[in-house]
Amino acid sequence: MKATRVFQLTALALVVVAAVQVGWWLYDQHAYTVEKVLAARDAYREQSAAAQALLAAGVSAQRVHELLPGIVVRDGRAVLAAEIEQALKSEERHRDNQYAWEGSFFLLALALCIAVIARALRAEARVHEEQESFLALVSHQFKTPLASLQLSLETLALRAPPPQGARPLIERMLADLARMELMVTQILESARLERGRVELRPEALPLAAAVARVLAQLEERARQERIVLTCDIAAGLCVQSDPLALDVVLRNVLENALAAVQAAGGGRIEVQARAANGEVQLTVRDSGVGFRAADGARLFEKFTRLHASAGHYGTGLGLFIVRRMMELAHGRVSAHSAGVGQGAQLELTWPAAAAAPAAAAQVGTS
Amino acid sequence: MPAAAHVLVVEDDPHLAAGVVENLRAEGYEVSTAADGVQALEWLAAHACGLIVLDVMLPGMDGFGVCRTLREQGNTTPVLFLTARGDPADRVRGLEAGGDDYLAKPFHLQEFLLRVRAILRRWDWYRSASATAATAVLRFGGNEVDFRVFRARSWNGEAQELTEKEAMILKVLAEHAGEIVSREDLLERVWGYDVFPSTRTVDNFILRLRKRFEKDPASPRHFLTVWGVGYRFLGEDGP
Repeated sequence: MKATRVFQLTALALVVVAAVQVGWWLYDQHAYTVEKVLAARDAYREQSAAAQALLAAGVSAQRVHELLPGIVVRDGRAVLAAEIEQALKSEERHRDNQYAWEGSFFLLALALCIAVIARALRAEARVHEEQESFLALVSHQFKTPLASLQLSLETLALRAPPPQGARPLIERMLADLARMELMVTQILESARLERGRVELRPEALPLAAAVARVLAQLEERARQERIVLTCDIAAGLCVQSDPLALDVVLRNVLENALAAVQAAGGGRIEVQARAANGEVQLTVRDSGVGFRAADGARLFEKFTRLHASAGHYGTGLGLFIVRRMMELAHGRVSAHSAGVGQGAQLELTWPAAAAAPAAAAQVGTS
Repeated sequence: MPAAAHVLVVEDDPHLAAGVVENLRAEGYEVSTAADGVQALEWLAAHACGLIVLDVMLPGMDGFGVCRTLREQGNTTPVLFLTARGDPADRVRGLEAGGDDYLAKPFHLQEFLLRVRAILRRWDWYRSASATAATAVLRFGGNEVDFRVFRARSWNGEAQELTEKEAMILKVLAEHAGEIVSREDLLERVWGYDVFPSTRTVDNFILRLRKRFEKDPASPRHFLTVWGVGYRFLGEDGP
C-alpha cells in the first residue's frame, strides 16, 4: 500500500515536471521563431530601403524587382511582396502549431506509460492482498482440526483410558487427519484453479454414466444415514466437459447434498437432467437443512460454511471449486433454497455435446 | 451451588465440542452444548449455568455477537472465548464484548481446565461473598451498591449499572475496608492467575469507580491511592 502511494506521488511529480518542461520548451521555441521572423523582416526592410534608394536614383521599377525579387514597387514606393509577408506569418503559425502538437504528444505518451505501470502495480497489489487473506483463511481453517487432534491426544495422555474408551478418541483423530488431508488436496486444487493452471480437455461425455459412477461410491454412506438416492437421466444426454472436472464437480455437489441431508437426520436426494437450448441442465434436489435464500451466492465463495450441524465436515472449498470448474467448462452453477430446514436445489448447466464419444468415433471411421 | 458447576459449550465443530464436553464431564462439571449462537441464546433464555465456553467463529451470529447480546440482556454469566485467531486485536474485541477470558486454538487441555476452574472459582467467591443480606448490599458515603444485581445508586440519586469487573473490584476493596490492597492482589482476585491486563487496567477501573461514587473524583474520600502500592477503600468519609 505504502509503495503504491510513493509511486503515485513520484508519477505525479514526473508529470508536473514534464509538463513544466514542455511548457518552457514551447515558450522557448516560440520565442526563437519570433526572433528569426523578426530578423527576416529586418533584412527585408533593409532591402526595401535599398530599393527605395535605387528608385530615387532613377532605376526603373522593373529593374529594382529583378535585383530584389522580394520587393515590389507600388505607387512609386518599394514594399515587401504580399506572398512573402504571408509566408512569414504562416511560417510563424506553422512552427507554433508543430511544437504544440509535439509537446502534447510527449505529455500524452508519458501519462499513458504511467497509467499502464500504475495499473500493473495495482493488479499486483491486489493479487498479493488476495494471497495474504487466502493464507490467513487457510491457517484459520486448519486450526480447528488441529485443536481437535491436540485435545484428543492430550485427553489420552491425561486420562489414560482403557482400550475401549480410547477407541472413539482414536477414530476422531483419524477423522481429523482425513479432514486435514482433504483440505490440503482441495486447497492445492483451488489454488491451481485460481492461477488458471488447470488445463481442461473438454470432450463429449454421457452424463448418466458419470453421475452413476459418483453415486455408486456414495451409496453405502447414504444407506447408513437413511438417505434415499434417486437418479433420472436420459441415456443419450451428453455434456461438453473435461472428464476429471466433471467427476470433481459431481462428487463435490453430491457430497454436499449428502452432508446437508445427513445433518437433517436423513431424507432423500433426487438427481435429474434435461436438455434445452443447446445446454444440459442437471438438478440436484435434497431434503436437507437448506440455507437462507440470501446465502445462495455466498455458498460458492471460499470458506463459506453454512451448516453448523453435527457430522458435517466441509472445508468450505468444495462449492468454490465447483464454481471455478464450471466457469472453466463454460457452464454455470446456482443454488436455491426456500430457507433453513426447507431443503435445497443445485443447478449445473453445461454446453450440450453433439453426440456421445462412441457415436462420434463411428462418424469418424465411416 | 449446583448452577456454578454447569457449563454450556458453544462450538460448531462436533469433534472439538465432543472433546471439550468429555473432559469437562470427567472433571465433574455438568455440561450442555449448543452448535451455534442462536441455539446458545435460546438455551440460555430458559436455563442458567456457571460458565459459557464460546467459540468465536460460529455460523450465523459469531461468538462476540452472542456475548454482547447476553450482556445487553443483563445476563452476567462468565464467558471463556475459544478462537482460531489469537492476535491481540481479536483478544481485545473479546474482552470488549464482555468476555472473561480468551483461549486461542489449538489450546492445551490442562490450561483450558485450569482457566475454567479459575473463572468458576472467582465467581463462586463473588457469589458466596454477596450471599447474605449483610454482604449483598454495600453502603458508603450516601452510595448504595447491590452486588447481586450489579446495580447501584450513587450519592446524587443517579442509578448506576456496574460491570462484573467493577463490582468484583469493589467487592474485594470492601472486604478489606481500611486496609491497603495492592494492584497485583486486585488482578489476582478479579482477573485470575492469567494476568493479561497490566496494573494500569486496575487504575482505569478505580478511576471509573471514583467517577461513579465520589462527590469529587479529583480528591477522593473512599477510593484512596496508596502511592507505589495500591489502593485503600474507606467506607466512612476519610480525612
